[in-house]
Amino acid sequence: MAGEAGEKELWRRPAIQDALGLQDSVFASENDNSLYFTYSGPSNTLEVRDLTYQVDTASQVPWFEQLAQFKIPWLSHKNQDSGENGIQNLSFRVRSGQMLAIIGSSGCGRASLLDVITGRDHGGRMCSGQIWINGQPSTSRLVRKCVAHVRQHDQLLPHLTVRETLAFVAQMRLPRSFSQAERNKRVEDVIAELRLRQCADTRVGNTYVRGVSGGERRRVSIGVQLLWNPGILILDEPTSGLDSFTAHNLVRTLSRLAKGNRLVLISLHQPRSDIFRLFDLVLLMSSGTTVYLGPAQHMISYFTALGYPCPRYSNPADFYVDLTSIDRHSQEQEVATREKARSLAAMFREKVRDCDDFMWKAEARELDVGTCVASPTPPCDNSCQTPSEPPGVLQQFATLTRRQVSSDFRDLPTLLIHGAEACLMSLIIGFLYYGHGDNKLSFMDTAALLFMIGALIPFNVILDVVSKCHSERAMLYAELEDGLYTTGPYYFAKILGELPEHCAYVIIYGMPTYWLANLHPELLPFVLHFLLVWLVVFCCRAMALAAAALLPTFHMSSFFCNAFYNAFYLTGGFMINLKNLWTVPSWVAKVSFLRWCFAGLMQVQYNGRIYTVQVGNFTFSVPGDKMVSDMDLNSHPLYAIYLILIGISGGFLFLYYVSLRFIKQKSSQDW
Amino acid sequence: MSELPCLIRHRTFDCQVKGSHQSSLEEGPTGTSRPRHSLSVLHVSYSVSSYVGPWWDVASRRQRWDRQILKDISLYVESGQIMCILGSSGSGKTTLLDAISGRLRRTGTLHGEVCVNGQTLRRDQFQDCFSYVMQSDTFLSSLTVRETLRYTAMLTTRRGSADLLQKKVEAVMAELNLSHVADQVIGNYSFGGISSGERRRVSIAVQLLQDPKIMMFDEPTTGLDSMTANQIVHLLAELARRDRIVILTIHQPRSELFQHFDKIAILTFGELVFCGTPVEMLDFFNNCGYPCPDHSNPFDFYMDLTSVDSQSKEREIETYKRVQMFESSYKESAICHRTLENIERTKHLKTLPAVPFKTKDLPGALCKLGVLLRRVTRNLLRNKQALMMRLLQNLIMGLFVTFFLLRVQNDMLKGAVQDRVGLLYQFVGATPYTGMLNAVTLFPVLRAVSDQESLDGLYEKWQMLLAYMLHILPFSIIATVLFSSVSYWALGLYPEAARFGYFSAALLAPHLIGEYLTLVLLGIVQNPNIVNSIVALLSIAGLLVGSGFVRNVEEMNFPFRIYRYFTFQKYCCEILIVNEFYGLNFTCGNSANSEITNPLCAMTQGIQFIETTCPGATSRFTANFLILYVYIPVLVILGIVVFKIRDHLISR
Repeated sequence: MAGEAGEKELWRRPAIQDALGLQDSVFASENDNSLYFTYSGPSNTLEVRDLTYQVDTASQVPWFEQLAQFKIPWLSHKNQDSGENGIQNLSFRVRSGQMLAIIGSSGCGRASLLDVITGRDHGGRMCSGQIWINGQPSTSRLVRKCVAHVRQHDQLLPHLTVRETLAFVAQMRLPRSFSQAERNKRVEDVIAELRLRQCADTRVGNTYVRGVSGGERRRVSIGVQLLWNPGILILDEPTSGLDSFTAHNLVRTLSRLAKGNRLVLISLHQPRSDIFRLFDLVLLMSSGTTVYLGPAQHMISYFTALGYPCPRYSNPADFYVDLTSIDRHSQEQEVATREKARSLAAMFREKVRDCDDFMWKAEARELDVGTCVASPTPPCDNSCQTPSEPPGVLQQFATLTRRQVSSDFRDLPTLLIHGAEACLMSLIIGFLYYGHGDNKLSFMDTAALLFMIGALIPFNVILDVVSKCHSERAMLYAELEDGLYTTGPYYFAKILGELPEHCAYVIIYGMPTYWLANLHPELLPFVLHFLLVWLVVFCCRAMALAAAALLPTFHMSSFFCNAFYNAFYLTGGFMINLKNLWTVPSWVAKVSFLRWCFAGLMQVQYNGRIYTVQVGNFTFSVPGDKMVSDMDLNSHPLYAIYLILIGISGGFLFLYYVSLRFIKQKSSQDW
Repeated sequence: MSELPCLIRHRTFDCQVKGSHQSSLEEGPTGTSRPRHSLSVLHVSYSVSSYVGPWWDVASRRQRWDRQILKDISLYVESGQIMCILGSSGSGKTTLLDAISGRLRRTGTLHGEVCVNGQTLRRDQFQDCFSYVMQSDTFLSSLTVRETLRYTAMLTTRRGSADLLQKKVEAVMAELNLSHVADQVIGNYSFGGISSGERRRVSIAVQLLQDPKIMMFDEPTTGLDSMTANQIVHLLAELARRDRIVILTIHQPRSELFQHFDKIAILTFGELVFCGTPVEMLDFFNNCGYPCPDHSNPFDFYMDLTSVDSQSKEREIETYKRVQMFESSYKESAICHRTLENIERTKHLKTLPAVPFKTKDLPGALCKLGVLLRRVTRNLLRNKQALMMRLLQNLIMGLFVTFFLLRVQNDMLKGAVQDRVGLLYQFVGATPYTGMLNAVTLFPVLRAVSDQESLDGLYEKWQMLLAYMLHILPFSIIATVLFSSVSYWALGLYPEAARFGYFSAALLAPHLIGEYLTLVLLGIVQNPNIVNSIVALLSIAGLLVGSGFVRNVEEMNFPFRIYRYFTFQKYCCEILIVNEFYGLNFTCGNSANSEITNPLCAMTQGIQFIETTCPGATSRFTANFLILYVYIPVLVILGIVVFKIRDHLISR
């Protein structure tokens, strides 16, 4: 049985000395360890003292889903026990130069903790305790000034390159006193610091658009925050969805950032063993309480002392997270695991009772990180660094407009599809109403054509605008929260940025038809016609923008737009005679931009002209004005129609502004 | 520490691993009463060749680029064993599973052989021998667990008595620990149902119903939390112990799972770096000079060790060299030689045991269709939201129009003709649109289910399509009658019962045609949004050209006049116009003093309007109906053809 003995020997063999070095050699990929961009402000501390926090899941459900839930009231009873799912008596203190990793199974309170620290605790209640930043109780102003929060999902425009993305943020974020050269320098520094040089001119991309790799995209997100030189960096699940090499390099980057005198706080679900080795401080949480807080390399010895040694071939992070997680599969399991977690937490609290930074340390040797002995209270320097004056509204507007236009124009496939679609429809309509040759279009045919021009063209715009707004919504929300810019500049930039595409669309769609159908070939009617089409499409665009900002989901916005559009369509004066409308529809007809456009187009074509009609053997000579009046389209003069259309679009634009300003642009989409 | 099962397991780790090592019966199938099945994969390589450049670059189309996805892979598994294939993404794990189970896309070239009990399988036998659980769980979300299993059981066994089926389903549910959720709806992402671990177990149960001896699992633990993932792997190991061969791929296994596997294979860039028992694995890498460090997950460590880091050129060369080193030392090792010996030996056994097919007793095509029909109908009836949408969409559209128009007039000056034409135009335009919306929202799920189940050999894709097309008929009829009976009378269209019947029948056809046309397109085009735009464009164009309401037919261009005959809107509109205008008398102004000055008053009878818009339509009334309804069987046949072709388009 020599083989058996050998096997046993293999399993029991003591740890090989160079094993650690070996694992590092598997990953050693960056030999450039220099710091290109270090934090320049005074050192920071972040302290959480006796924090108790209750999550109120009911209030996190968006209002429209709550509305739906009123029908099923018994569901709300189920959520009542969620109160304990928060944080209980949590305390810690970290300083610049340290990286604290918060680990724990799902539902342990990691997300709530980050929410509380970053001041995004919507739908929760802080029962006791306080958060101190640099010795000052934290306020949203202070948080915005000192803390950079990198979200779990990358919110970047997919068609810009890495350098452009950073440059646009630099324009908006860095104080006015920075010169252009300094801004460029800062962008280059950040690119160097995050090792993004080789992909600096590649587009960012997303799941649908090819671009830089996932790890690089995550680093761009970090770079966006790093640009303004924050002292405290908070990252939510930065490694999720990355492969092992990329995740390892990312965490290595983060620990290098911490070495550059920053405070880095990351939350992780279950880190791999190689990543766990890179941490310096670890906070292990279980159902809202601290089970361990201290240096990562001492975690195993701490738990071994408590009687829970980590098995040899097993990842300590996995092992201890499982040890402390709550098993919800059955009632008795849940009670048992909860009890165990509670006793572990109590034990830990006992151990760090007389340590003022709440951190466990090995007795054997003094540590370089997390020294327990009276860490000096940081200077009451309330500002992390005074960003003298943020750039003005005008500059934000100019930057946002440039960013939007260059992002739109990069997106060639979408432009081509829209262009081809518009071209195809315009040619079909044009050839269907081909008006050159012997017989010109009859009155009814021309009226139908004019209505189709006014009614079919804007329809495609709606879905495009709504879907685009909703896909950008998450980014807008994040950037507004970060205080990158305010609503006003964004609003004007959005509208102005839409215009080039808008004009191109109207020209492609409207012009061939006008010529093919042989409508009045003089210049003036053509210009008037073009202006009307331009305005009606603009009204539609404004309506879609307003709906997208007003309503929370893509489906609701597009349904709302469709319903309104159909109402305007039916009251447009072509399908149903305007005289036949009863009271309510006739009010609708008053704001139906399709009706006003149709009326305008008819007036441009017919007013002041004589028209001949043939019915059987009779030939009538009818003045064009009379024909138009019969359809009740002559009630307002032409100039009034232009003013009304401008008014309607102005109304929608106003609604858009109000929605942007007062409705949180939270995205209901997960991607 | 009794509360730490994990630790206890770990302490008994040595003997367990050893035990499984000894009992892996590599010495030969002696001493067992039952014949052991074996699966051997010998020198399997697979390569795909694709064109280099984009499609418009003609020069690059001449040369093709061969990409080797699997390189010379040999494996040997016996029943009772569970094998785990490790590898980072893109290493060829799933392709290997596909190659073993004969589900590879036909475009590539496959060399080597896959033998079951020493016999090579014919192409059509693969389906009946292997069961395959894919990464995504696709179910009809409104059925309960028991119903899902029962319908699958009905699809697999011919005329078994209801009792027998019931027993089988209950047994499988008991085996997979699903009895407590038997009567819960499966659910999907938007509305709750059973948990994701339970969903995964239902996928496994569906396969178990056919009693397979060889089971494949593609990433069974992805997307599950760690505890559920552990339970699933326990379960799979348990299945393997009951005399089955279980092969699974796994992306990021956790260290506790290490002991559950009888064999672990590591793939990198399509090459087999190692395959053997866990103990052999530790030993092998030790001997290569890379012992697994303490307190780290051996899976993670070895996977990182054997994967190629493509971040920079130098790193890539360096890591690739290391992989090559492992591969060559594996090829020379005793483990590899033993595998090859085993494969050879099973081939030359005197008495080859029969190939273990799944219970193959499939019912006839008609019977399957019946089962599918019942299944989709029940699924729809359970889904309140979908049912409401299906039944009420048309009605809401009708009410919307009615709200704006209230009642049609007979006075020419008050738009008697204009209103009626606008109304009919709206109805003919909207009914195909609602049909399309139904298909686009409800069918893609069923399409995914049928794609998967047809691969399992349960039925063919077109049978599911036909079942769908049949089951919507009664719902569409109800929806159309609901809509027409409210709006026809409310709007005050021609007051006659027979005319109302014609009206309903004429609008039922476009509603069905819209839905069927969408189904046909969904067979070719994968993305429902694109289908949505295509159908919308087609119906707008058809309406503009075919209806003749918005363009005088005589003055149309020649191509458009030809095109008209292919649009169903032409026939539908002609029927509706004759139905509404025939025998209708118009008035003009308040009194009968005919203002001859107004050209509109020239028209006094509906027949005049019919003659100007669609001359001769009155005589074509029956013919139009026939042609309109011919579209439906034509689309059904087209759909069946398209879904038969889909087998070749989509086959993985």
